[in-house]
Amino acid sequence: MTGHGMTGHGITTPGRDFRERGAHAVADTELQHALRNLDRRLRTAQESATAHPDWKDRAAAIRRETLRDLDGWLDRLEAKLTENGVQVHRAATPEEARRIVLDLARARNAKTVVKSKSMATEEIDLGNALEAAGIRSIETDLGEYIVQLAGERPSHMITPAIHKTLPQIRDVLAHEAGKDLPVNREALTAWTRERLRAEFLRADLGITGVNFAAADTGTLVLVTNEGNGRFCTTVPRVHIAVMPIEKVVPRLADLSVLLPLLTSHATGQPLTNYVTMLTGPRRAGELDGPDELHVVILDNRRSALLGTKYEEMLACIRCGACLNVCPVYRNVSGHAYDAVYSGPMGKVLTPLLSGGAEGTDLPYGSSLCHACSDACPVKIPLGDLIIELRADYPAASSPARRGRRAAWNAWARAWSTPRGYRLTTAAARLTRGRAPGLGAWTRTRVIPRPAREPFRDRWARERG
Amino acid sequence: MIDTFVARLEANACTVVGPLDVDGARAAVVERASGVVACNDDVPIPDLVAALRGAGTDVLTSDNPMWSERLASVAVGVTGAWCAVAEPAAIGIMAAPGSPRATSLVPPTHVCVVRVADVVANLDDAFARLASTPLPSALTWVGGPSRTGDLEMILTLGVHGPRAVDVILLD
Repeated sequence: MTGHGMTGHGITTPGRDFRERGAHAVADTELQHALRNLDRRLRTAQESATAHPDWKDRAAAIRRETLRDLDGWLDRLEAKLTENGVQVHRAATPEEARRIVLDLARARNAKTVVKSKSMATEEIDLGNALEAAGIRSIETDLGEYIVQLAGERPSHMITPAIHKTLPQIRDVLAHEAGKDLPVNREALTAWTRERLRAEFLRADLGITGVNFAAADTGTLVLVTNEGNGRFCTTVPRVHIAVMPIEKVVPRLADLSVLLPLLTSHATGQPLTNYVTMLTGPRRAGELDGPDELHVVILDNRRSALLGTKYEEMLACIRCGACLNVCPVYRNVSGHAYDAVYSGPMGKVLTPLLSGGAEGTDLPYGSSLCHACSDACPVKIPLGDLIIELRADYPAASSPARRGRRAAWNAWARAWSTPRGYRLTTAAARLTRGRAPGLGAWTRTRVIPRPAREPFRDRWARERG
Repeated sequence: MIDTFVARLEANACTVVGPLDVDGARAAVVERASGVVACNDDVPIPDLVAALRGAGTDVLTSDNPMWSERLASVAVGVTGAWCAVAEPAAIGIMAAPGSPRATSLVPPTHVCVVRVADVVANLDDAFARLASTPLPSALTWVGGPSRTGDLEMILTLGVHGPRAVDVILLD
């Protein structure tokens, strides 16, 4: 997957690798100003976790039960969807998924597509594929619309335009409006409402993602706040939902814990403003809803993760909590990752979904503080997975890296014998932990100061 | 439980009246009418359309052949509810012939009539109730007016859906 896959579109932060792009982002004062708005979400996950201590356990158990028999649940889901009158398509690759959607759109002579925010459609770069085929593709989530107009990609999976300040957003919308607009939330929202209302009414096709798909009832569930997802699934004659394989849940009733857990970790809301549960297309006698409902089930290297040490990554419910707490994400923002998925989950998912072709430097841009693991509502050990990926994708060899490796090896050898341990700790006491050549290492780390008297000597003196 | 429901709805920027009896609820809907009113069949108030028309309101019902064309000009959409959750506040609205999805979506104001007997305490209770109910093509849970946090993560109301949600509790 090159060029048109995970990194094929949109403006990203300049730089050759994560380190350079991160440095560029940190130096961008307007971006840094916008990123302070993340503080508004910082405590949401923590508050939710302490308010409902058993939710994480229940949710983590449901997600792992699903992964133990993912193929089985998908087959049950497909059977139930089909029974409900939904047309199910399976796509092994992003190319296949794009072709399925484009064929459906062309066969129905679609001119305009309205899209609801969906990471899966970002992953397959669907909007650009539609535009390239001469079909207008309009993002209708407010943040996603702003990002589309700016020629960018979302920088946060829940709040796509978090990297922009309100004056910057005004500039983007005013350019599209061809007139001046005030730097005022209500006014900018009202202008967008009128503009996109016209698009909803003319659209031939609505495209959405899926937050959960219940295997026992064949129900597709979408959580939204603005109402654009409802429009996309109410007005156009055809609705296409794109879902990665791990969106399946065994039972609709599982959502009584998964839904509030997702929304509280995503936005701090006990529940999003709208939760839409779709079971089949419009029925006889109904005045609205799509005549045709299609589901594209996307694999894109996910099933290859089943049974591996990375399987747990498929438990992810895309809440964005790990982004909000990550000290790296909070300083560099999403575009520095140069990938569809950013933050800690993006560091893990990008190398895995690209088969190691992209983003293998991302796991190295981590303080390994494991704040992501603690924030995760379904208990994915993101910090551990980042470390595993470092082992699987070693950094390019360099003098500094070879030096570090030699130092660690020497340390391991020294501490393998009591005599080596005594000699090195005695040396450390004499130098108070200082050693030549450690400057680069200690610039961002604190070396523990050795005790004046080793515990070993104290023990011998007091108890011996 | 009803007190919790009302408090949570109000925290979500809904207005709430009631519980009222049928006559009180009918009067409350008529009082909220302005411009063209779309009325779904699932509103549990007998003779509501006649009362609205009697008060001089232009009512759009689902049997109108121009329903789709006229919906964009509707000011108030009136629906019933299948079930409502007290905490987190969520009103479940089922699509059906005579009760289209768009009535609670397109007009700037949504008036929703909820029977007190249909309010359950939490999501577990709602899903238990759902398990013994045939699923509709669309079941939409509504918490309040349409909203976004996309502009600097500060809440802004009335993006694509209704700017106002008025809940009338019916005893």
